[in-house]
Amino acid sequence: MKAIDAINIVKTYSSGGTQNTVLKGITLAIEQGEFVAIMGRSGAGKSTLLYQLSLLDQPTSGDIVMDGISTRKLSESALTKIRLSKLGYVFQDYALVPELTALENAAIPLLMQGHSDSVAYAKARVALEAVGLEKRINNLPSKLSGGEQQRVSIARAVAHAPKILFADEPTANLDSETGRRVIDILQAFHERGQTIVMVTHEEEYGLLADRVIRLSDGMIESYR
Amino acid sequence: MLATIRVAWFLAVRQIRRASPWTTALIVFVMMLTFLNLVVVGGILVGLPQGSQLAYEREYSGEVLIRSLPTKEYIERSEDMIKTLRAFPEVVQISPRYLTGGKIEANYRTAVGPKQEPDALMIQIGGIDPVLEHEVTGIGELLFVGENLDPEEEGYVLLGKDLLEEYTVGAGIIGAVTLTNVGVGSKVRVEVNGSTKELIIRGVLSSKIGEMSTRAFMLDTELRRLSGRTDRNVGEIAVRLRPGANPMAVRDALKASGFADVARIQTARESQGTFLEDIEDTFEILSAAIGSIGLMVASITVFIVIFINAVTRRKYIGILKGIGISGSSIELSYVFQSIFYATFGAFFGLVIIYTLLVPYFAEHPIDFPFSDGVLAVPIDGTLIRLGLLVAVTVIAGYLPARMIVKGNTLDAILGR
Repeated sequence: MKAIDAINIVKTYSSGGTQNTVLKGITLAIEQGEFVAIMGRSGAGKSTLLYQLSLLDQPTSGDIVMDGISTRKLSESALTKIRLSKLGYVFQDYALVPELTALENAAIPLLMQGHSDSVAYAKARVALEAVGLEKRINNLPSKLSGGEQQRVSIARAVAHAPKILFADEPTANLDSETGRRVIDILQAFHERGQTIVMVTHEEEYGLLADRVIRLSDGMIESYR
Repeated sequence: MLATIRVAWFLAVRQIRRASPWTTALIVFVMMLTFLNLVVVGGILVGLPQGSQLAYEREYSGEVLIRSLPTKEYIERSEDMIKTLRAFPEVVQISPRYLTGGKIEANYRTAVGPKQEPDALMIQIGGIDPVLEHEVTGIGELLFVGENLDPEEEGYVLLGKDLLEEYTVGAGIIGAVTLTNVGVGSKVRVEVNGSTKELIIRGVLSSKIGEMSTRAFMLDTELRRLSGRTDRNVGEIAVRLRPGANPMAVRDALKASGFADVARIQTARESQGTFLEDIEDTFEILSAAIGSIGLMVASITVFIVIFINAVTRRKYIGILKGIGISGSSIELSYVFQSIFYATFGAFFGLVIIYTLLVPYFAEHPIDFPFSDGVLAVPIDGTLIRLGLLVAVTVIAGYLPARMIVKGNTLDAILGR
């Protein structure tokens, strides 16, 4: 069953009168439960593709179909609702809200979904336990190491049980040992059935994915 | 919708709680000053004429003042009217005053030559029962030198301070025309309707109400005798009502009793004419103008605070939107923060106004030439200003938040 269908995605940026086409007609499908790594050299369009697939950005042309629904003409508000209900995000720089504790960061999507405080915090606690942070739940991001912050970010991304988890170079700011631990956590979630789409430039981590999509100059160079 | 509000509250509370306490205190302090500016400046301006109105009522007219018709020197059927007034349950006390024009002379003993100017004034003389007058206007407390008249002791007079050079120093209402070298214990000669009598100054009245500070008061019995009056019709009646009683009801009841044709029956406010009311209206307009500048300052302050906050947090706003937090929640969280700043600022302002400033100005009124200014800050007016401040800050908080939130989510996350 397809989780995402990307149909002929083109993304062009305009700057100073010049047009730069970063994605040049990408078509791909990601199956439910798959762990897909998007790889490629710097400037190949990996992150841009992830932003289109994860509905953080709108393609210039083409369509992203999610659960059989075209997202091409959806409003920003409708896209936000889809992101809240179906998608989870792990950003390269963790992207935690600095005023919220680890527990609150993980709970906020659940609160937005309408869960009561007790349910939201209970689910967030479970997610933080799953990434090994049960003893740091009341810490603000500034009191956590980079690896811990990224684990909070993963907990936030999975706490509301999204259909697809997107990770944009989740190990880029981490040392190799911590990075490895983060990947292990993602793999563990994948083994429990979580669909994951991850951008990485680390060959080692790409090998762990079910499938690797290699981009070059805005086009798919190869599948594995 | 409920989730939107809950998350907005959740974000706002944590942002405030974990913000720098000094920054928060500074913003609240600015809002407090704005609120004080909004309420106190207007309160002082309006308080000046209001202080005069209160003093007029307290020191001269009572809540209801009955005066003779403009074409008459006295109120016909005064005794009937007094009897009727005493029967009203709202009336605590009344002070009937005989009024007549007369001359008061100070240097009548020493002025010998025809070229020597007499030290004399033409003034209005009131004949009072000092006990009743004290119960209505507290005349005994208005005396800053000497003492009140004694109903059993004739031969004395009270003078308003504006009649005496010693207390006016050229600034009296009637300018330089004042009695010189006289004070409490001095003898003056009073002439009414061709009859004269030598009286001793027993006390000097200090009041900013012209009717009290430019009149002479003596015993009513003595004045009637001096003027040769045999009737008991008085020139005016000041009526003191029970606290909370409605003066308009008493006025109307008295008119309905058939006295409308023989006297001008007015509440204290009406008897003052429109002069003070006009001043008050003008000051209210001025205060509204000053207040609106204050509101603009408050709104700009909040706008800048929220704008800087939202701009510096643009990335996190993008992240929140990215993970599915609605734009409305984020905007509302800033609105809640604005309300927090405005309400806490206003709260501290209210505490300062009602626990410090109002008691202070009640104890130390502003010494204005025609009144002792009070701080006029009725609670309903203050609450309206509080509401205005909150409403303005809500808008001022919402607009910058909206500007940032409506931006592209990905651009915000990536800091583009």
